[in-house]
Amino acid sequence: MSTHTYKKAEDPHSGSLPDKMTIYQDCLNRFNESPVNPKLCRTLITSLLELISHGETFPAQEATALFFSISKLFQHPNDSLRQIVYVAIKELCGISEDILMATSSIMKDVQNGSDLVKPNAIRALIRVLDESTAFSAERLLKNSLVSKHPSVCSASLVSSYHLLPIAETTVKRFANETQEAVGDLKQLPYPDENSRYYPTTSHISQYHALGLLYQLKNHDKMALIKLIQQFAGQSSPLKNQLAQVQMVKLVHQLVLKDTNSIPQFLPLIVNWLQSRHEAVALEACKLTAALSNLVPSEVFAGAVSVLQGFLSTPRVTTRFAAVRLLNKISMVSPEKIVVCNPELESLVNDSNRNISTYTITTLLKTGTNKNIGSLIKTITKFIYEVNDDFKIIIIDAIKTLSLNFPEENETILRFLMESLQSSEGSLQFKNSVVEALMDLIQFVPQSKEKALEELCDFIEDCEYNEVLVRILHLLGKEGPTTKNPSLYVRHIYNRVILENSIIRSAAVLSLSKFALVKNDPELVKSIEQLLIQIKTDPDDEVRDRASIALQFIESVKSNNEVSNIAQNFIRPTSTYDVVTMESKLSQYLSQGQEAFQTPFDVSSVTKYSEDEKKALDLKRRQEQAFQHTEESSNGNGSGSGNGNENGGRKGDRLDDSTFNGTSLQEEKDDLLLSKHIDEMSSLEQFQSFGKRIHSSKIVPLTEIEAEFVVKGIKHLFDEHIVLQFHITNTLKDIALDNVEVVCQVEGLSEGLLDDQEEFVLPIERLLPDEGESCYVAFKKLTQNSDEIVVERFSNSLKFQSKELDPSTSLPFEDDEGFQDEYEFDSLFLSPGDYMKPSFVSNFAATLEELPYESVSVYNIVETNTLQEVIDKLIISAGGLPLENSQTVSHDATQHTLKLSGKSILDNAKALLSIKMIKTSKGIAIKALVKSDKDTLADDLSNNLI
Amino acid sequence: MVNLSLYTVKAVLILDGEGKRLYSKYFHAPHEQISDESIAVNLKKQKEFESNLFSKTHGQNSDIMILDDMLVIYREYVDASIYVLGAIDENEIVLQEAFNGLKDSLELLLDTGIDKRNIQEHYDMVVLAIDELIDDGVILETDPATIASRVTKPPSKDIPLNIELNEKGLLSAWGFAKSKLAERLQQGL
Repeated sequence: MSTHTYKKAEDPHSGSLPDKMTIYQDCLNRFNESPVNPKLCRTLITSLLELISHGETFPAQEATALFFSISKLFQHPNDSLRQIVYVAIKELCGISEDILMATSSIMKDVQNGSDLVKPNAIRALIRVLDESTAFSAERLLKNSLVSKHPSVCSASLVSSYHLLPIAETTVKRFANETQEAVGDLKQLPYPDENSRYYPTTSHISQYHALGLLYQLKNHDKMALIKLIQQFAGQSSPLKNQLAQVQMVKLVHQLVLKDTNSIPQFLPLIVNWLQSRHEAVALEACKLTAALSNLVPSEVFAGAVSVLQGFLSTPRVTTRFAAVRLLNKISMVSPEKIVVCNPELESLVNDSNRNISTYTITTLLKTGTNKNIGSLIKTITKFIYEVNDDFKIIIIDAIKTLSLNFPEENETILRFLMESLQSSEGSLQFKNSVVEALMDLIQFVPQSKEKALEELCDFIEDCEYNEVLVRILHLLGKEGPTTKNPSLYVRHIYNRVILENSIIRSAAVLSLSKFALVKNDPELVKSIEQLLIQIKTDPDDEVRDRASIALQFIESVKSNNEVSNIAQNFIRPTSTYDVVTMESKLSQYLSQGQEAFQTPFDVSSVTKYSEDEKKALDLKRRQEQAFQHTEESSNGNGSGSGNGNENGGRKGDRLDDSTFNGTSLQEEKDDLLLSKHIDEMSSLEQFQSFGKRIHSSKIVPLTEIEAEFVVKGIKHLFDEHIVLQFHITNTLKDIALDNVEVVCQVEGLSEGLLDDQEEFVLPIERLLPDEGESCYVAFKKLTQNSDEIVVERFSNSLKFQSKELDPSTSLPFEDDEGFQDEYEFDSLFLSPGDYMKPSFVSNFAATLEELPYESVSVYNIVETNTLQEVIDKLIISAGGLPLENSQTVSHDATQHTLKLSGKSILDNAKALLSIKMIKTSKGIAIKALVKSDKDTLADDLSNNLI
Repeated sequence: MVNLSLYTVKAVLILDGEGKRLYSKYFHAPHEQISDESIAVNLKKQKEFESNLFSKTHGQNSDIMILDDMLVIYREYVDASIYVLGAIDENEIVLQEAFNGLKDSLELLLDTGIDKRNIQEHYDMVVLAIDELIDDGVILETDPATIASRVTKPPSKDIPLNIELNEKGLLSAWGFAKSKLAERLQQGL
């Protein structure tokens, strides 16, 4: 390997990477020379780093050889070589072995090196240490922490921060020094004459010290409050803006955990909102937005006006951050940011498309009946200029808009049709438009006929098969119930004549649905005729579909016993729950050959009728818009460890502004629930109870941080009620034996339920970190299976706790353990557990129609917000909130909540219209329940709270 | 959930005018496993992400965007683009500070401005600047002049041996000779 070949590889103009093996060989040779040539060595290491940066790796053996020869370079005192050596060491210590051998050389530099390389040495030092050797760096880290030089101090703080996961006790020993470093304003030494740059001290070590200090104290709330008092406020020594941002975040964390502490921090927040550092003001705005109605409205208005100011800065990032936050606020309380509308409108044409898209989605939320029309006009112009990703986001925003402003359906419909017909746009975009149209047709019935007609025109000239098939399906589903079904038949039949086989077969299915239209024998006859013609189609699939459709129509007409089945095939009245179906099927498939002897039991999959399906869809939509507020209240449960960076992901996916699909959390919960249900149904004790009618959602009965985390599920059977308690043991060194839940009936059911449990299935042994279920079964005393039993169960956990033998992780043989009890929240079997959400398109009219009514009045004295009461009512009544009545603005004093549901026992309909008024004394509630069954109405209204 | 972790920056990337990698560093906290979902988990995913990133940013001139649940701040130059990536819930302006630190210190260090050739020619300085800016995801320093002053130039070809002829100089000359001798002797053994 001569210098010559190496020189050629180094030539940057060639643009290609140096050869890996050449560099490797050169490194080994050159670094072992004596004396070394520092310039050449630095160039070699640079090439090595370039290789690594491009994704090249070395096997452990070669990496070790490299590491070893690089550590030879410590002999050379040149700082400029030393600095790059440290970078190389940091890169290699991940893949090399025996990295400890460099420790003493590095330590020498930390002690005696120049100010220039000291920080590099400190940062490299902690990379070569591991759990067992980390303590040896203690003195060095501590000495550098108190160094006068800010870079040395920062390096020591950051290195200690990195060490936390493996050497917390070591790092804890310099908590005091860290605390001092927060307030210490270290100055950079005056630059020497030959320096070309004029550094200004950024005091960033304050930020590092604060970050480290938080990790050391995050379990001690009082210490954190003291920290804030000491370092925030009027005479705050914090000069660095990152440190100040960190401080705001710290307050944010504390107030989320304990909302009662907000007043104490208000002056600080107000002060931060006025900060001259944009980052600090922005973070304070984020904090205010997250607290929303918990801070006084003038503080919130202050934050909004700060954001408003940000909207017109020339700095892109600031504008972006402001509009993104406003967009987030607009999902919960659009009324609060209406003042920003003028500034927002001028941002619609911002050169950063991210900003303009956020702006538009925000405007769509803050828009009122008056300006929605003109807004949509602006968007129509805008949408042609942006790429598809943004188009889809906008269409999604329009989709939610159509639910909020049903009266604007014509404008929205026109906009959607224009986007659909425009020649631009990818398949994904068109698909999202069609989805938006489907939503419109489903939830805004007055737009149905017009939208369907427009779609008919569209399919005449559509280049995407997928979109066409979806529309044909939609026409088949909705067309037969319109005023003039024959119109659609013509359009669909045109497809049969003109299109390819995929579309033809979809069209056949769609046509056959029209054959079921009542009271129009003419139409049925002509459809039969059409189908007979199609039977001569060249494609197998199309022919098959046509003949089977004819068969079905025949049997429906003949009115014999199979007619119902046939009818169901053509127009299914219910669909399966796809998520459960998928998990059940994959479970079935994984069981192997033997299980295939018995066919898959499809009845175990939940079925939804059409209006239930709609109800679920609408609920999902509503929850999506709401998700991020929940995020802020639920998210603080998980501990805040060192690398806890995934916390805010889920909620932000929404903020990321793609509203697609169902929320992940929701699906996870559903899967978990069906898992628990399977566990229960597989137990033989419950086989005699017959078919399970319904299971409630999972109800948490303890805090997530509790020693034993208990969750409850209520299962309803014909004559029994089974309570499933899922218990997780979070204690590290204790096993629980014979765990059983003692349920005390409080007697709300007045003799409808046996107050002694029929049996209890205890858990034999619960080891640490294990979760298992304990079951308690009750027998209903009433013979009438559709009677609603309401009951409250107060619960406690009984168990023998046994200490674990650390060597076997099992309890000691002779330990008898001692009896203990643990109380947790009571479980309420509410009327809501008997209700499932269902959708009605016209609430007022349906409410009129229902025969039985029941009225009850409640008064809530506790100081709850209206929103909290509404959330509670929705859960306890189990209905679907309609007409956006599930949200209320924060300053409203009265509200009417409209819920619709069906009994799971006998499908009796029930609508609830709940009026509430907030006064200084509390909240007065008047619930009007109407139902087609008198007992249901009474039960619901009497047991709402 | 508030993210109080100091691990702010997820990655620093420099791509050339065709989206090819010039420099890349994906950060993760030491002593922590990289999750399989992270884009940094293997080279294939990184490259996929980079080409996606480039196609979304090339010629757009937007400076900031969200991609794959990450906040991206970038600047496109004639034949090179610099990217700084952070978590999606990061304070945008803090990340911008980090980005400015990188951009301005590179402008100070690379005399004739930021372009592909300059970056490749002074790769060592670029690597050192980024190392001084961010340490495994923690923002170490944001003042560009401080960063630039901490980045050493490559050593000059000859080993500097300027022994000054005053009392101190003589002493150090003696010390130097002594250490050289010791070194030779050691190697001789």
